[in-house]
Amino acid sequence: MTAGKRLLIVDDDPEFVEGIRGILEGAGYAVEAAYNPADGFVALRKGRFDLLLLDILMGRGAEGVMFARKMRKDPALRDIPVLIITGIREQIAFLFPGEPLHPHLVPVDELMEKPVEPALLLEKVAALLAAAERRKASGGQKAAGA
Amino acid sequence: MIETDGRPRILIIDDEEVVLDACAQILGTQEFDLAVARDGTTGLDRVGEFHPDLVFVDLKMPGISGFEVLEGIRARDPSIVTIVITGYATLSSAVEAMQKGAYDFLPKPFTPEEFRLVTRRGLERRRLAREAARLRAERDLLREQFASIVSHELKAPLAAVQQQLMLLAHELAGVLSEAQQERLRRLQGRIADLLALIATWLRAISSDLESLRASFRPVPIPTVVEKAVDSMRVLAERKDITLETDVPTAVPPVLGDEGTLVEALVNLVGNAIKYSPAGSRVIVSAGAREGTVSLAVRDFGVGIPPEDLPRILGGLSRAVGTAGETGAGLGLVITRRIVEVHGGTLTVASTPGTGTTVTISLPAAGPSAAEAVGGAERQKEVGVR
Repeated sequence: MTAGKRLLIVDDDPEFVEGIRGILEGAGYAVEAAYNPADGFVALRKGRFDLLLLDILMGRGAEGVMFARKMRKDPALRDIPVLIITGIREQIAFLFPGEPLHPHLVPVDELMEKPVEPALLLEKVAALLAAAERRKASGGQKAAGA
Repeated sequence: MIETDGRPRILIIDDEEVVLDACAQILGTQEFDLAVARDGTTGLDRVGEFHPDLVFVDLKMPGISGFEVLEGIRARDPSIVTIVITGYATLSSAVEAMQKGAYDFLPKPFTPEEFRLVTRRGLERRRLAREAARLRAERDLLREQFASIVSHELKAPLAAVQQQLMLLAHELAGVLSEAQQERLRRLQGRIADLLALIATWLRAISSDLESLRASFRPVPIPTVVEKAVDSMRVLAERKDITLETDVPTAVPPVLGDEGTLVEALVNLVGNAIKYSPAGSRVIVSAGAREGTVSLAVRDFGVGIPPEDLPRILGGLSRAVGTAGETGAGLGLVITRRIVEVHGGTLTVASTPGTGTTVTISLPAAGPSAAEAVGGAERQKEVGVR
């Protein structure tokens, strides 16, 4: 199930990227990484990725939030599932007062806090990929019916 | 506040030409930028255009009175220093002027020396006021940015270290001896404690809970319980503690902020786990009675002696957990603040040796709120669970 699935990590912390890349590659995923939002967006556009792991608070600002909003506007990227990883999950409520803890920045996403437990990471990645497969299948049926 | 180009700006509002001329002559134009106005209304207009540091105001003028001018200046920019000029320097008018915000007064007639002295003192006052304002602004900025600074400079490196340790443990799972694995686990445990401590301090210092009220919306209680329990499950499993929930579906929603309510419950569940012996249970339950929704966290741990109960909710008390966990004792303080912002109360019932129940009571949201929650639920189904 994991074979052939391509994942992109966009995070400005190389140590952290290395930490989760090892776990994901160990599970058989093909993993690429970008270390800033600009490179990440370029990679995402030409890479045909099945899933994006996105750090929501790169640098000093919420550049990851901007990244996700840009993605949402792009029809080619909108349906890629996103696993949002943040260093400060418990502060999201305070950073964005009134927003739900789980921000749903893109249609399909999940939120995890750094550091990420290996088993939980693999579980969430697999669940997001499976959900994306299901959506693709049902979308395809609709198209065939129309 | 508008920055001047270094030369102090002085505005004189007086209906007597001779006073205006005298002041201009005494001050000269080398050191100061000077503007004048012959009545209160013009004077107030000049305040808006000229942005003076110091304003002399004649108390007795045709048109609006000097007192009204003082009030007008104060309303526009309370940091402008005002000095009243008065021909009838009675104590009462001086006192009234001071009450209206004047810094000093100058009785007519005055000597050039007196005028210079009062001017110097007024400008010094202005300089100090600006300095204080600058420091205040700096302090506020630091406070605002504290969250992001701390999270990036302290928390991010620690999280990266922890991630690497997790990878190492994952990769070496079948290779390390039991003792080596235990060492790795202890390392991870210490870092997890540090990360939790940083997170707690961040919440205590950076959060402006009052501002949350503006964006309150109906929050379904089952969601709050589910999210809180989800985020504590790993911790509970690590201590072999069973997390049970008992949430009737009929519990009405509360009006509030979901994120902080989850946070409040997370703190209570975290405490319950911390003070529970391995192998025991922690029960999170919800209930509703007479317009009040309650969220209770019950443990079967060490309990709290009655004499310590008031201190527990007052803040900064700390005890060592059953597995040697430490903390700054901030969790309950933050929880109490969150609950209070939501118009609720926090109560603790405890029997030493038997266990503790901490209860959050919140006002239930009205029926219109329940409808809105229905909408939120439908929206939630779009996401992936």
